Amino acid sequence: MSAREQILGKMEALEPVNHPGNFKGASVDFDFQASLEVVGARVLTAEALEIEFPRRRRYDKTLDGLSLAEVEVLEIDGEFGVAENGAIWLTEEAMPHRVAPFICQHLVINVSKIVPNMHAAYEELKKPSSSFGLFLAGPSKTADIEQSLVIGAHGARSLTVVIRA
Amino acid sequence: MPSHAEASEKFIADAQRTDWHDETLWFVREKRDKAAMVLREWEALREHASQIKDHTLANLGSYLQAFEAKAQANGIHVHWAADAAEHNAIVHQIIAKQGSKVLVKSKSMLTEECHLNDYLANKGIEVVDTDLGERIVQFRNEAPSHIVLPAIHLKREDVGETFHQHLGTPKGNKDPQFLTEAARQHLRGHFLASEVAITGVNFAIAETGEFVVCTNEGNADMGAHLAKVHIACMGIEKIIPKREDLAVFLRLLARSATGQLITTYSSHFHKPREGQEMHIVLLDNGRTRQLADPKYKNSLKCIRCAACFNTCPVYRRSGGHSYHQPVAGPIGSILAPNIDKKANADLPFASTLCGSCSNVCPVKINIHEQLWFWRQDLMAAGLAPVGKTIGMKLMAFTLAHPAIYRIGGSLLRRFSGMLNTRLNPWYKQREMPEAPKVSFQEWYKKR
Repeated sequence: MSAREQILGKMEALEPVNHPGNFKGASVDFDFQASLEVVGARVLTAEALEIEFPRRRRYDKTLDGLSLAEVEVLEIDGEFGVAENGAIWLTEEAMPHRVAPFICQHLVINVSKIVPNMHAAYEELKKPSSSFGLFLAGPSKTADIEQSLVIGAHGARSLTVVIRA
Repeated sequence: MPSHAEASEKFIADAQRTDWHDETLWFVREKRDKAAMVLREWEALREHASQIKDHTLANLGSYLQAFEAKAQANGIHVHWAADAAEHNAIVHQIIAKQGSKVLVKSKSMLTEECHLNDYLANKGIEVVDTDLGERIVQFRNEAPSHIVLPAIHLKREDVGETFHQHLGTPKGNKDPQFLTEAARQHLRGHFLASEVAITGVNFAIAETGEFVVCTNEGNADMGAHLAKVHIACMGIEKIIPKREDLAVFLRLLARSATGQLITTYSSHFHKPREGQEMHIVLLDNGRTRQLADPKYKNSLKCIRCAACFNTCPVYRRSGGHSYHQPVAGPIGSILAPNIDKKANADLPFASTLCGSCSNVCPVKINIHEQLWFWRQDLMAAGLAPVGKTIGMKLMAFTLAHPAIYRIGGSLLRRFSGMLNTRLNPWYKQREMPEAPKVSFQEWYKKR
């Protein structure tokens, strides 16, 4: 008997229990910008971004074939931000390669839409989804050495968010 | 293998370090409290998550099949493994086909449970653990001591020395920022060169056939997106029904684990990228046995946040290695006996049964009750530690015979030295109270 048959065979006698449905009553009073600060991201205006990162690479098709490990500052578009935790939903279509937001040294994300919490976020994600997507909240970080927070573990060393109207 | 009590004795020999360990983990517990209490719906969320898991476990067979069908339609290869040996053989076969000799792996407690690294090493394949904490303990030939904070038993001096030996960092440099940078450079080389990447799975969604991997460092993504072959290893209990259920679990996971609002990266792997090969290995290894037992079934709800570790007075003062299992702490103590009752018979006793673990558990597992159930089962099976068995039998006999209880009591009051010896484990590290001159009964009779 295959492992599959063995495993599934042991589950035949289980008594069904109902799914509780969608979660109701979630808080909505969150401030996206405040959450971004908590997760270690910086919020800049479009003008300030020009001064801070004049030589960034904005994602377009021409970036294909470029050595991603050498991209210093990468700018991409996020689909929406989540106010409760500062996470931004990114999809494969908005980046040159799945590894792009991780392998660049500094990441800039443009966001124009903000939803209050994760429940609202998954409402947004009901439409046919992309082959790869992620919630990204702040720069790469670790506290594996004595619980001291270090920014820039393996992924981007900084995250700058530009909230555009 | 030393028992939990024996290993703990070594751990607490360094009192200063024990205090530091205790306080550091309590600090994480306090961060969890702050992050949780911000949400006024926290308790409702825990209840909801628990119910989703009840529903999922009750329908696990059909959800696993739905997940398999969707994942396959998405172009992912799905494998089933009955036990650790089969799991390791499947993983090895995929790697061998690729011909790789070195590969990267992000955190996966399941591969620790299967001892995958050792298995592959015997086949001449080197596994490079890429989570910083895991890389540190791997260099030191140690196991992770905590499922979320693998190197929490080490001080920065220890890490500095380890990196000096293995990465050539300057001797004496113990700056976390500097050491993390050294690891970043060292591991970046491996990420760019590896053809195979192994990751764990935090959640697998039956509705869509996708799986979600959460990290703060970005190491799972660096590995998976750069490799030709991605192998994701998961226990069958990681399934959740719908995508929107993720909202509940992602809200609970990081807040419970480290007090963060959400992990830095919550990656949703739906289909392999163009030209990439993606595999999922579904492992049983005793989980179906746990599922069939109403007493222990709830332990399969665990989302591996380790909140129960951080709050546990025994874990904080005995360290993860004392549990001699990949998953330590209260949850590990109820999972391990299911895999090997005899080898882990000490673990359900490594608890005060205070119930703090159950109070912080984001999916409301009755951990302390299950610890107590295991104690009863182990006693009945004759597997409990000998000293405890004798003590319990003696106590039960004494309490059942009032005359002996009275005689014993008066003897002990007169010769309290009989209890205050090193033969009595309770006496170690404790000052025993003075015995009263008369018992309640004697006092009452005189009145």
